Amino acid sequence: MNQFAGIGFRKDFANEFLEKKLLQPSFIEVAPENWMGIGGYWKKIFKQVAEQYPVTLHGLSLSIGSADELDWNFLRQLKSFIKEYNVQVYSEHLSFSKCNNAHLYDLLPIPFRKEAVKHIVQKTKQVQDFLEMPLVLEVVSYYTAIAPEMQEHEFINAIVDESDCRLLLDVNNVYVNGFNHKYDAYEFINKLRLDKVAYIHMAGHEQVSEDLIIDTHGQPIIDPVYDLFDYTIQQLPHTAPVLLERDFNIPEMEEMLFELNKLENICQKHWKHETVSA
Amino acid sequence: MKQSALDIAFDQEKKFADYCRTGNFVRLKGTTPNRLPHYRKLVFNVIDDTLQTAYPLTFGLLTKSEWKELVNDFFGTHNCQSYQVWKMPYELYEYVLNNDLPIKEKYPQLLNLLLFEWMEIEVFMMEDIEAASLKTSGELITDELILNPEHFLLATEYPVHYKKANEITEADKGIYYILIFREPQTGKVIFIELSVLFAWLTEQIKTTGRSVYQLSKEASEVFNIPRQQILENSQSFLNELYNQQFILGFK
Ligand SMILES: [Fe+2]
Repeated sequence: MNQFAGIGFRKDFANEFLEKKLLQPSFIEVAPENWMGIGGYWKKIFKQVAEQYPVTLHGLSLSIGSADELDWNFLRQLKSFIKEYNVQVYSEHLSFSKCNNAHLYDLLPIPFRKEAVKHIVQKTKQVQDFLEMPLVLEVVSYYTAIAPEMQEHEFINAIVDESDCRLLLDVNNVYVNGFNHKYDAYEFINKLRLDKVAYIHMAGHEQVSEDLIIDTHGQPIIDPVYDLFDYTIQQLPHTAPVLLERDFNIPEMEEMLFELNKLENICQKHWKHETVSA
Repeated sequence: MKQSALDIAFDQEKKFADYCRTGNFVRLKGTTPNRLPHYRKLVFNVIDDTLQTAYPLTFGLLTKSEWKELVNDFFGTHNCQSYQVWKMPYELYEYVLNNDLPIKEKYPQLLNLLLFEWMEIEVFMMEDIEAASLKTSGELITDELILNPEHFLLATEYPVHYKKANEITEADKGIYYILIFREPQTGKVIFIELSVLFAWLTEQIKTTGRSVYQLSKEASEVFNIPRQQILENSQSFLNELYNQQFILGFK
């Protein structure tokens, strides 16, 4: 079993998890929206998987960044799901996915503005108080900023400072953003509150034109992202769970295993004598 | 009046969200040129893919442009409420149900088809319901039966369950009863067409807790069929339901 590297659990390879056990992730991650309030076949499978691996949650619908009020029905259901499966990490996206009382089922960038910070801090505190655990917010990829009045890292750090939430550092997203918005990914990492990083994502992406990368999670991780990851974890003052994300274009198990092992090996190289802490 | 700072961030978000939902041109502050259309494309594709996956028969029935217009209008004007994307397709059914759309006239079977396709998802995914305590041996005709609680009894006007959607015509109009339930061990969704008599019996067993023998007297009067004939026909019907695990056991 891995010590640091986990994987996103997908229906496509549920059997691999339960029977062949080629993959030995240290944990699995799921979107709570896809697994709570269900029954039948997939509930049975999920229960079995959750008995064998620790579960982390990576939500989709919280929409921390929009003017819409929090959905308390959702949060109540989420809280009991967290209890039922003894979940230790609940992360979400620093973006919005619901606006004007309508879900969009995608992650849209929040204007980097002070008033948005204020509102997000307030909602984040409400979520943390209610769930009685820190909210871990992910640095998302985006293809354009909207009406920015502050730098991206200032925006993120202000939210972390004022809400005392944790950070989900998606190293691929930082790479993608650096490319798309022409900044240095290493410098960006250095400017973040790395002491607040509780969780790391790694994924592949697709370059669709000369100046644009789309964050597809449908390709293998490229070497420059591994390099950035190797650098990043050396800057962290503590260890953190690392997740391999792959949502589309699912490859053979061997390829997933190769990537998962590679991540685990990088972690082992730097964190050999540490135990994982979230 | 000067816009307050709060208004700017959320005003921009709202315009952005509207653009993603409708594709109608929008001017936002401080964006990188040519990047906004990627969002419209990504957002719309998620909706379109999810709906095509949920409603493959309906997708096959409508022309490409009818489908596109339906998805576009639905997503642009209806506020999706489900935080679980797998439940969102049910809102398309409700949208078609509650709005005057030309495709409802052109395809009278459309609503039945949508609901039929949705029911398969709902029965497959819905939360587990515990069955009442039961005995495994008993008499199908004379004992009180314990039914599989994970089921729906659907009544449709068109035979969307056995005829190709594009071959259904006005001439097929009638009443069809479809029992949809989840097999306890495998979670598989099973469909069984019921005659009006057996649909009635199923409903009565469920709501009154009476045995088929007790119900056969009333059934005979309601359907004007000799009681003996009802009891004989019921035997093989109940056997089948028992083997398929719609009847789980006996009280
Ligand atoms: Fe991520």
